[in-house]
Formats: sequence, structure tokens, C-alpha cells
Amino acid sequence: MLEFSGENEMEQSREQLWPYFTDPDVLAECAPGCKEMILESPHKLTAVLAVGVGSVKPEFEVDAVVTSLEYPEKLELAATGQDPRNEFEMTATMEMIEADEQSTVVKWSAKANVSGTIVSLGSRALKSVTKRLVNKYFSDMQAQIEAAEGAESKLQAAPEDETNLDIHIG
Amino acid sequence: MKPAAFEYHRPESVDEVIELLESYDDAELLAGNQSLGIVMANRLATPEHLIDLSGVDSLSGITVSESAVEIAAMTTHRTIERSERLKEMLPILPEAAGQIAGPAVRNRGTIGGSIGEADPAGNYPTALAALGGTLQLRSAAEARSVPIEDYFIAYMFTDLRENEIIEAVSIPREPYPIHRTGMVFVGLKRAAQTWPTVSAAGIVRVDDPSKTNPIIEIARVALANAADTPLRIPEAEAVLEGGPLSVAKLDEITNIVSDSVTPESEMHADSEFKSEVAGEYAMRAIQSAYDRATDQGKE
Repeated sequence: MLEFSGENEMEQSREQLWPYFTDPDVLAECAPGCKEMILESPHKLTAVLAVGVGSVKPEFEVDAVVTSLEYPEKLELAATGQDPRNEFEMTATMEMIEADEQSTVVKWSAKANVSGTIVSLGSRALKSVTKRLVNKYFSDMQAQIEAAEGAESKLQAAPEDETNLDIHIG
Repeated sequence: MKPAAFEYHRPESVDEVIELLESYDDAELLAGNQSLGIVMANRLATPEHLIDLSGVDSLSGITVSESAVEIAAMTTHRTIERSERLKEMLPILPEAAGQIAGPAVRNRGTIGGSIGEADPAGNYPTALAALGGTLQLRSAAEARSVPIEDYFIAYMFTDLRENEIIEAVSIPREPYPIHRTGMVFVGLKRAAQTWPTVSAAGIVRVDDPSKTNPIIEIARVALANAADTPLRIPEAEAVLEGGPLSVAKLDEITNIVSDSVTPESEMHADSEFKSEVAGEYAMRAIQSAYDRATDQGKE
């Protein structure tokens, strides 16, 4: 199992940030290697993500479910991704913590099981590249927010009987 | 294993290479084929098109001008290792080249391939991080120059864009006057032809080698495989610059380097060991570089 976590400070309030982090169109712009993202229902997303390390370039078909959502504090997702030679399943949590009136610390963590050819690159490669991709995600997100083009929160938590993507991480 | 089926292309100019990159979505550039072939044989990489650069003559060779040395991307390790001009002007590059794997790999492998692969254990990325310099990159849209320090982003992850090719690396000559500069590349290897556990690049320029205690004007310290990118240690450089070398300063940089690196543990060497080796080898590199810089005054 791989575990990742980090935090980024952003110069907006939680209420200002929230729509951006829950607007699939913005997410599609910022998610690393995102080729498409479709909001299937308010709690279900599908996406195609092409994320590579060197010449190893899997293209994942991703199913994601919003497992928990507490405005404007916390968002939890579960996701699975498939490529002909690779697979992952993950859970991710994002928390927004009020630093002061005009800034927010966005804390995130993720646990993932990865299998397939990409694993042969080793966790040092995956960790290094993940860190870089997450940083890029946040800086792209920052740019979107600063451009102030507006965003619309479109995500909702899934009802309990639909949160199960059959993910077992550990 | 055998690689998945692919279509092979052998263009003869950079323009043709870029045209091919633009025409095919899933294409990979092939330089000296000392890494990609293995990755493809294991089916980790399965590009549909392979663009072999070996027929592009303009991509190989070393050009020296008054202000810079330019090494084209397809120049082999062997050529760099044996270049008399590089041995004289930028000796860290032949030294780094000569320590790559074995002769068979050095005959085929290229500097552009190594920079493109961006393995943090690679010799050139670290030697170039110490030297400074610029990469010349080209795509259909533009030709751009990227400083070495901005190019390496994460493990095998670089600023190289989709459908972009590395044409050359250019290193300024002005900071490194031949007769008062010393350069060293040293690495710890557990066996002769493997990747190094940790390597260090050290560069020292002194004010006047004929003095009893020459002052260090410029110091460069960079490590390979001690972080997820080639890692320069400016804090260690700052300690060295502005005075002569001393045992106390060597001790100080050993500690600074060991504390600054963030190596991942590997099967044969854990993180703590690699940090220790990084400090020790950085210290040795600087000490020898200083000796080389000052020895020249005594001859």
C-alpha cells in the first residue's frame, strides 16, 4: 500500500475555495493528465487520466465516488482506475482548515493500492511523481481561483448503498 | 520477453523528427537504446511508434565557441569520455561519462538519452547541475532554452513537453577558466557496471593557484541519487566560497550535505547510509577539485 499526504496553504476562505474543489469542470482542468472527466451523477465521476513515469505511460479509466462531503470542510473520494496493464484503487480525503479569515490550509491524504507494470518502478518513483503531480494540481487550482472565472459546486455525497466501489486497501 | 509490436521510423533531420512526433500520438524517441529497449522488452513501455534518432547527423558532436561548449544530444558517452577538448575545458563531463556502466553501454548511450530519462542516479544530470548550463529544446511550436536547474522536476519527470526533443546542452566556459578550476565526479558503486549508490560532483575555482592558500571563488556541490532529482547544495557552496579550503570547512560541508539530502532507501542501501555516503563523497569531490585547481599553479 502507498500512502501520501500533504498540505497547501491558499489565500482564500473555505467558502471561496469550496466551489472550485467540487466543480468537475475545474477538476478536469487541474487534475494531472486528465483527458476527460464526466459527472455521471452528483456523486459519481468517471475520468481518463494519463499519468506516466518516464516511458511508462499508463492511461487509466477512473471511476470515482464521493463517499463523504461536509461543506466547507471535508471531501472524501474513493476511486478505482484501470489500464490494460495496470490497476489502482484508492481513497482520498481533503480537509479545509481555516487558517484565518482570508486563508485556508488544504490538507489531503490518500491511500492507494497499485498493481501492474507501473509498480516495477518502485515506490520511490511513484512517491516522487505523485508529490509533483499534487503540487501541480494545487498550483493549477490556485491559478483557476485567481483567474476568478467562477465555479459551481456540483458534487454531493453518495447515498450509503452506493458508496461501495468494493475497495479494500491495506 | 519481446516488446509489443511497434512501427519503426528513422528520420534524418530534426524537422522530420518533429513532424513524426506531431503525426503519431503514441510515439517514443529512441536515442542510444540503453534503457528504452529494456523497458519495452518488459512491456512496461508499449509505444506504437519508435522514432530512432541515430540517423539525424545534426544531433551529434561537440562544438566549442569562445563563450560556451555545446554538446549535441546524440553524442555518445564514449565520445564525451575521450574528447580532448572536454578534458581540458570541462573535465567533469569526461569523468562522469567514463563512470557510466561498461564500455558496451558507453559506446551506444548518449547524453541526450540520459537527460531525457532523468534518472536521479544518472551521472550527467548531476554533473550538469553542478556546471549549470542550458538545454536546447525544440518542438513544432518553438525552440526554447531551459536552464538545467529548472528542467529536472521529480523522479524521471522533467520539463520536457509532449512532442518536444532535446537538441543539445550548452555549458558556459566563462565561469571555469582552465588554469584555476578543478572538477571532480566520484561515485560509490557496489559493482563496476551498475548504477551508483550515490555520486557527487564537485567544482572549485580559486583566485590564484600560485598563492599559498588560494581563495575559493566558486564552489559547486551536486549529488546524484540522493533525492528524486539531481541535487545541488547551495548551503555547502556558501561555506566554501570566499576563503581557502580547510579541514574544518570540509567537515562542515560533509554534515551539511548529509543533512540536506533526502535519499530513498533501496534494497542494498538504506536512506541513512546513502545520506552518510553523500556527505563523504561530496567532501572527497570538493577536496580533490580544490587540489586539482591549485595543483595547476605549482606545475
